Amino acid sequence: MLRILSVATTLSLVASVGYAADRWDGADELEVSPLGCEAGAAPTVVAKDYDGGQPTSPPDRAGQEITVMDVPKLIGIGYFAATTQGMEEAAAELGNVNVTTDGPTEANIDDQITFLDNFITQGVDGLLFAANDPVAIAPVLKKALDKGIHVVGYDANSEPDAREWFVNQAEFNGIAKAMVDSIAAEIGEDGSFAIVTSTFTTPNQARWIAEMWAYAEQCYPSLEWLETVEAQEDNILSFNQATTLINKYGEDLDGLFGMTSVATPASAEAVTQAQLCGDVAVVGLATPNAMKPYVASDCVKSVVLWNPVDLGYAAVQVMRAVVDGKLQPGATEVEAGKLGTLSIVNGSEVLLGAPFVFTKDNIGEFDF
Amino acid sequence: MTAAILAGGRSEPRWRSIQRVFGGQETILLLCLIALFVIVGSINPRYVAERNLSSIFLGNAYIAVAAIGMSMVIISGNIDISVGSLIGVLATISGSLAVGGYPIIVSWMVPLVVGALVTAFMGFLVAYLRIPSIVVSLGMLSILKGGLISITAGAWITDLPAGYGLAQMRPFGIPMPIYFMVLLTAAAALWMRYSSTGRSIYAVGGNAEAARLSGISSKRTIMTVFAIHGVFAGIASVLFATQLSVIQSTVPPNLELTIITASVVGGVSILGGIGTVIGSTLAAILLAAIGSSLIFINVSPYWLRAVQGVLILLTVLADLWRRRRQMSRR
Amino acid sequence: MAITDVIQSERRRPALSHWLHHEVVLALILVLSLLVLATQTDRFLTTENLLNQGRLMAEVGLVALPMTFIIITAGIDLSVGSILGLTAIILGVSWKNLGLPLGAAIFVAMSVGTFAGFVNGWFITRVNVPPLIMTLATLALYRGLAEGTSQARSVRGYPEWFFELGQGEILGVPTQLWILCLAIIVAWLLLAYTAFGRSLYAIGHNETGARFSGIPVDRYKMIIYTASGFMASLAGCIFVSRVSTTRSDMGTGLELDVIAAVVLGGTSIFGGVGTIAGTVLGFIMIQLLKNGLSLTGVKGDATIIVIGSVLILSILLTNFIQHRRGDSE
Repeated sequence: MLRILSVATTLSLVASVGYAADRWDGADELEVSPLGCEAGAAPTVVAKDYDGGQPTSPPDRAGQEITVMDVPKLIGIGYFAATTQGMEEAAAELGNVNVTTDGPTEANIDDQITFLDNFITQGVDGLLFAANDPVAIAPVLKKALDKGIHVVGYDANSEPDAREWFVNQAEFNGIAKAMVDSIAAEIGEDGSFAIVTSTFTTPNQARWIAEMWAYAEQCYPSLEWLETVEAQEDNILSFNQATTLINKYGEDLDGLFGMTSVATPASAEAVTQAQLCGDVAVVGLATPNAMKPYVASDCVKSVVLWNPVDLGYAAVQVMRAVVDGKLQPGATEVEAGKLGTLSIVNGSEVLLGAPFVFTKDNIGEFDF
Repeated sequence: MTAAILAGGRSEPRWRSIQRVFGGQETILLLCLIALFVIVGSINPRYVAERNLSSIFLGNAYIAVAAIGMSMVIISGNIDISVGSLIGVLATISGSLAVGGYPIIVSWMVPLVVGALVTAFMGFLVAYLRIPSIVVSLGMLSILKGGLISITAGAWITDLPAGYGLAQMRPFGIPMPIYFMVLLTAAAALWMRYSSTGRSIYAVGGNAEAARLSGISSKRTIMTVFAIHGVFAGIASVLFATQLSVIQSTVPPNLELTIITASVVGGVSILGGIGTVIGSTLAAILLAAIGSSLIFINVSPYWLRAVQGVLILLTVLADLWRRRRQMSRR
Repeated sequence: MAITDVIQSERRRPALSHWLHHEVVLALILVLSLLVLATQTDRFLTTENLLNQGRLMAEVGLVALPMTFIIITAGIDLSVGSILGLTAIILGVSWKNLGLPLGAAIFVAMSVGTFAGFVNGWFITRVNVPPLIMTLATLALYRGLAEGTSQARSVRGYPEWFFELGQGEILGVPTQLWILCLAIIVAWLLLAYTAFGRSLYAIGHNETGARFSGIPVDRYKMIIYTASGFMASLAGCIFVSRVSTTRSDMGTGLELDVIAAVVLGGTSIFGGVGTIAGTVLGFIMIQLLKNGLSLTGVKGDATIIVIGSVLILSILLTNFIQHRRGDSE
């Protein structure tokens, strides 16, 4: 009897929590700024004063050899291996920068802070970072500035006053526009889609989704937004979650968004193995190497990404420019070696460029 | 003295084997599974469509396979929390061999051998050098994970040769991982029940001292168990590596927790000596089915993990109530 | 006669000398590695660096103390990281969304965290759920509650005074290091010099025997699991103050760091053996190794390999020494 009771309790619990899921739209309170609907709409440039921080009496190392530590969100994943590659390219080109990448083995805010703290103690000339959390990382970065260390961020920002400059790979609203435009082109303006993301607390992903929601509401009001599932940074879990979405919605599902470089290929694989290529579109952020098989088989038509190698390259170039005094508060552009001149936006952000859309025609040209 | 051996040796009166068939944790899990399918299926019929059931089994068979080995380790009174890292390392080895041009069969077999060697070494540390298994596997977790990152730096393995995708094959229309899961579970269950080595695992886990006195070498048994666990981890890693056409070459997050949870929810006592691998396989399926069902019945994703925690607790409580009832019936 | 004697002689050997030996060995390894690291870089053995390391290890240290109690009773608590995360979220939500004064919010959050520990203890003692399974379930449950409550929103913008706890100093020493030292002293006194402490060893050695000799086993267990919840929630508040924000994924993986520190300190996972001094040495060693290796330019992936090896080797060394002793006796 008790056993039946406990089974019944288990199942009634399952049933009782089965209220309709909220559409997840990024869920932070920050402002969204969707771009215009027309093709090629660029962000309106609003002049803004420099809002970054400044190191306290840094030693003058202009033109001299400098030691720079790079602390990404985590080490041991392809994306940050690519940014590291770009940093080494820039260091080799400049000849007077020693850059080393080291960081936590999991995207953990506490471990990342510990690493940064150690490098401050070690006494480096500059720190590069990709923040796991914009606020949590701020105290330790401010400590670095206090010690006269130059601080430049890339990929994932901190609070502006905790670093000097941030190399922005592409603005959130730009990514959102590229993603939503791509899927609307594939599934039509009244199609329906679901999203596979890493976790709800990852700041970049949350911002993209919030911007995507705002942009879709403004430009494609009849796109149907089904649901968002979490899949960590785990290949197989992403595959399982994408498969579950396909099974759940059946023919009601027209498209899938992958929000990470792990989720996108796994979603493409799920569509391929369900033999739904052409019926379910996959659009997402991903690195080209992981996507080549699916693009080649026509299962995926467009992959959105900036070039992470360029991102790492630009970060080191910016660091050099800051140390040499060539990039001062109030500047409107900065020279970044082979990337040419990059413009400054939002007060203290160096913009790498517009997001890049890889297609079957150009994906073969990239190797990372 | 004789009484002590008998009590410690867990001799099994006939009523218990009957109980084991009809009243065990396996039955509860099976009932939960069926009830879950019926209820969620009635809310959303697509949940019980052949396609979704097949996906649930296919996508999680490697967890069930790894949980078989884990259950043996736990029944022997030990634990291995490095298994997630081990699977990550073995999957990377398998993929690298396949891409490196070795015959496909080699890239499928080497992880089994390497897995067995690594875990046999752990078993040696546990059994002969008397380091607690939780210490050995905590240390091993760091070593394997650090080693994997040092060597691969997270570079994905792509361009896997055709024919490598073991987990993607479908003989007679049924996905390959399901065969592995079912056959390995059956083989392991029979082996543990009827072979002398298999039974000695229970004896060692239940009461190592009594087992030793009745002529069982607990050291050799523990080392054997760990080595077998490594083989299962190897098989799991091959299923894991061949499921998609790229290999991530990182340690899958929280995989060891999922595998250990499957074992303990399956009725394997963490104190050793009790449990079956059938229970752990059913539990692995149940956990996966619960995860999938929560999406089907639109549980707000924020509460997903909380619901999973409650469900694990309820399954365990059901098992405790069952045992208590058995005790009182005695 | 044979069996009882064998069992007893197996038990007697570790009881007296085991922990003493392990701590000495550990202290030697610690001093040795500090000296080696100090020769590699002059930035390691400085007051500033060491105090800073104290700040960084406070959370692990605080949680490791009750974990030592729990492991001595042959239990375990895997839910500490999730309790830390839950406390952080409750703190943020009750301050920002419910509009409580921050002091009251801290009180509410720590009450919830302590209650979470109490729930573990209640199920473990009253329903007889094995600790590992219970806390495995609440590991998922408490993290899930944190995620559900926060709806993935982080809370920031705390008043300046709150940061004194995690970023401030008293007499030149980080605030949380004072708290940690106080907690160490209390835990040490409790374990070494009270009937309660001795009872924990008795429970770990032989729970049934402890029960028969009149020790209130269930009450004591309830106390230590509740204490674990309390310390995890204290660590949670300190952590929020140190990083000035709350997120539902805070404290992920904390349980493994804590358990590693405790077992490195010589507390036996089988129960009955362990000391606070050992645990303190354990977490200091892990923190300073990570720091020292990093300062000498060893990378993160190699560092965790070293830590893993040290964990196994130090226990191995102790076993070896003890085995020799056992033979010569």
